[in-house]
Amino acid sequence: MRTRTGLGGLIAIAALTLTAGCAAETATTTDTNAATADDTVAVAEGGEVCYITAAESHPYVTPANEAIDEAAAAAGLTVIRLSQEFDVQTGTDQMNTCIGRGSDAIILWPLDPQAYIPGLIAAKEAGIPTIIINSPMDDEALELVASFTGPDVYEEGQLAADSLNEALGGEGSVVIIAGQAGNGTTIGRTDGFTDRLTELGSNIEVLQVVNADFDQQKALVASRDLITRFGDEINGVYANDDTMARGFIDAWKEAGLDTAALPPIVGINGQADAFESIKAGEMLSTILQSPYEDGKLALETVARLIAGETVEKRLPIKLTVINSSNVESEMPAF
Amino acid sequence: MTEAMPPVPVPVASRVLAQSGLTRVRGWIGLPAGVVLVLIVGSILSDKFLSVSNLTNVLISMSIVGLIVVGMTFVFISRGLADLSVPATVGLGGILVLGLQPSLGSLVAGIVGVLAAAVAGFINGGLIGWARVNPVIATLAVGTIVLGVAQAFVGGVIVYGTDTATQDFINSRILGGVPVIVLIFLSVAALGHILLSRTTIGRYTYAVGSNPAASEASAVPVKFTRAFAFLLTGALGGFAGVILGLSLQTARPTLGIGYEFDAITAVVVGGVSLLGGVGSIPRAMSGLLFVQLLTNIMVLQGVPSPVQGIAKGAMIAGAVALDVYLRRRGGTQ
Amino acid sequence: MNGALVTDLGFALVRYRVLVILAVTFSVASIWVPGFFSAGTLSLSLDRAATMGLLAVGLTVVLLAGQLDLSGGAILAVAGITAIGLQESMGQIPAAFVGVMVGVLAGGLNAFLVVVLRINSLVATLASMLFIRAVGHYITDSRPVSGIDPFFGLTVSRPIEGTITGRSLLFLVAIVVLHFWLTRTVSGRNMFAVGSNFVSATASGVRSRAYLAGSFVFSGAMAGIAGVIQSLSVNTGSPVFGESIVLTAIAAVVIGGTRLEGGRASAGGTLGGVLTLGALTTAMEFQNIPAYIQQIAAGLILLLLILLDQLVSRRNSRDVGLRSLVRRMKALSRPHQEKERKHISHEN
Repeated sequence: MRTRTGLGGLIAIAALTLTAGCAAETATTTDTNAATADDTVAVAEGGEVCYITAAESHPYVTPANEAIDEAAAAAGLTVIRLSQEFDVQTGTDQMNTCIGRGSDAIILWPLDPQAYIPGLIAAKEAGIPTIIINSPMDDEALELVASFTGPDVYEEGQLAADSLNEALGGEGSVVIIAGQAGNGTTIGRTDGFTDRLTELGSNIEVLQVVNADFDQQKALVASRDLITRFGDEINGVYANDDTMARGFIDAWKEAGLDTAALPPIVGINGQADAFESIKAGEMLSTILQSPYEDGKLALETVARLIAGETVEKRLPIKLTVINSSNVESEMPAF
Repeated sequence: MTEAMPPVPVPVASRVLAQSGLTRVRGWIGLPAGVVLVLIVGSILSDKFLSVSNLTNVLISMSIVGLIVVGMTFVFISRGLADLSVPATVGLGGILVLGLQPSLGSLVAGIVGVLAAAVAGFINGGLIGWARVNPVIATLAVGTIVLGVAQAFVGGVIVYGTDTATQDFINSRILGGVPVIVLIFLSVAALGHILLSRTTIGRYTYAVGSNPAASEASAVPVKFTRAFAFLLTGALGGFAGVILGLSLQTARPTLGIGYEFDAITAVVVGGVSLLGGVGSIPRAMSGLLFVQLLTNIMVLQGVPSPVQGIAKGAMIAGAVALDVYLRRRGGTQ
Repeated sequence: MNGALVTDLGFALVRYRVLVILAVTFSVASIWVPGFFSAGTLSLSLDRAATMGLLAVGLTVVLLAGQLDLSGGAILAVAGITAIGLQESMGQIPAAFVGVMVGVLAGGLNAFLVVVLRINSLVATLASMLFIRAVGHYITDSRPVSGIDPFFGLTVSRPIEGTITGRSLLFLVAIVVLHFWLTRTVSGRNMFAVGSNFVSATASGVRSRAYLAGSFVFSGAMAGIAGVIQSLSVNTGSPVFGESIVLTAIAAVVIGGTRLEGGRASAGGTLGGVLTLGALTTAMEFQNIPAYIQQIAAGLILLLLILLDQLVSRRNSRDVGLRSLVRRMKALSRPHQEKERKHISHEN
């Protein structure tokens, strides 16, 4: 019986594949669009954008996703959103899906500076304009895309270094809670920080760098370990984003330590809870970047691309340093 | 299912009872001796190790996994192999408690979370106890579905909680510095121990695990007992998720990932055999303590957490190989 | 009488359940995805599942032998890291070869733990999974490694002459080889024997322990191949690759009719299971259906298939009429009364 099922299975598959090969071409209209996308015929209204996002549920990514949906509705475009769930492999597979769909444009949120390059090459050959959102990729990748929109993560690291260095007067030891290992944002924000400290001639020493994948829970576990290991040697904390900064604060409270004794903490994003923490004196500062602007800019850029315009290679969004001096007057990003 | 070889043919009773005196003593003191050894090594390697704050931290980091370990012990002893739906039940508990918090309040939402996870455990139990589906694949399938449903319930986004009062309470310390979360864990562990060692269902669990055929011939409700282990693990997973969700006040679907393997590690290192019939809650907890202390030593030495798996993998292999060796020795007498 | 027709239909549906579920999934997919049956989209479906499919081929043999192997994802990651990391010093092809060897070595480790140390395979491969994954993190310092030439890997993930991709072809070849081995070789038949009854297989002269060891080495090798192919296609080796692929592959193998208890397996079944999951993912992504709904669908398919599998008794009973199905469900709960079945086949 199992031989028969097996053989039956093979025959069925073979039959299906042969039928498919011989079947009349049933390509969707978007296939022909993709084929002609490299001449200047404008395909403005009703175009399809294939958006490969980092995750469905994340404090920063979710509002960015929503912003893209809103901007698309305003521009008359449809968005197909595929989520990598922070898995690079899934993202590279999803690039193939986008190309196979023959979408009019692709927005990619890269979780790795290099891994998507083969996919980008394929997209370019298929004539589908692609932009990168939020997280940088290596130079060879940037040549393959129409634009990179989003914050300058290296600059964010530098601003964080300025803030922490000033608060500590150039002396002391700090820990760095970094994001997902190998992620372009992580690399940018961390290198920006450490390079700037060297540039300033600071005597601040980095005790340890841990990776917490931009996740509060993982940051809690990692911070617990840091507090266990270094205790009061920690004079300052630099977290690659506010969610992880929150994880550190949680760990501190969990250890039964006094929040008044918290070392200065710098985060990035400009979340509402970070604002509250700055007001309460738990956090030192955060670098504000708006996920709404991030998403909106990306979508507007591809809308221009679909309409046949050329766009700038680098389109940044605004960054603002928030600390106790301006936390009352500024609005949180989300 | 995954028996590498057929079990060494021994008369039924002797496997559980008649180990040689030396083997029994070795089995009894082996693990506590190991814990003491780790404590000594740890204090040599780092002066922070034996401090109250450090050891309290170890207890705190044990607490959530410890809840799962209680359930997993029942699963192992009843020869239910393993419950891989733990990430789903934990995630379900966390998502529900925070998702329903605005409308029902933390307490009721928490109860709903635990009950929902218990339903998942019940489904597992039904499939495994009555429909005789392999536990690994059954819990895998149910877990996948349950986690998907939990996410669908909140539309796939992160759930935020707003109850800082409960959060502060769970993260606080009472009775002169004992963390609440540790108290919760210890109470559940104590209840689990009583359930397993002193009640009828506990005896049935051991019977079903050590000799299913004999149990069926006698009055032991085999199907129900096997199902019960999974129902319990499901409910405990949900409870762990609820506590986690309340203490963090955010819940992502990935909340529970990894807990099932941590629990299995603890149980196995504690000498509770996958083949069923032997073990106890205190032994599983000793295993958990041992693993956590070792992890703590590695942390204090600066070993990055993803690399700690080298030690954990070696520990599991070592512990089980030793257990197999001792069982074979004990059995041939 | 109509009852006979319904019974025969029910019988056919359950017996060929893998084909049925595959056909259903394909039908739904073709409704959702206009042009699903175009060569391009089918190729996409297949390619999406190819890496997982390579693992599934290895796992089919392991499950046939009555064992489990959870370490495939970790092996995949480390093999990929090796294949990419050694490119500079060795060149791409030799590095890829070494990567596959890493998989074989890891399989050997598993074989040692299970066959020599006699550790249960669930626990043993859990331990090796933790160990190997940690080694991957250690040698890369948790950062991904990049290869020297992104174009090299494109051969693997690009459609050949507009049909299927290189890795899909590799997967299909593996399926054919597996099928041939399972059905036409002595060693294949021996593996069935080892999986159904270890003791009697040994008694009849089969070197069962060697077969068990071989199944793990094979599974490790397939994971190694999958890892090398995957990393080449993205020109990156990373310690976090393959984190959830093993459970999906196990699901595909079980959907295909292979049982965890051992003794039953089919290459065609595994192909069907892999294609079903691949088509499901592609179709749902095309429809912009969120990942968690995909999970529910995949889980339900798995559940349905394992329940149907329980209904089709272990002894190839022909009778799948409704009344006898119910009777057999009850009989499953009372194993000593299975001899009742003999009377059932005459009922309708």
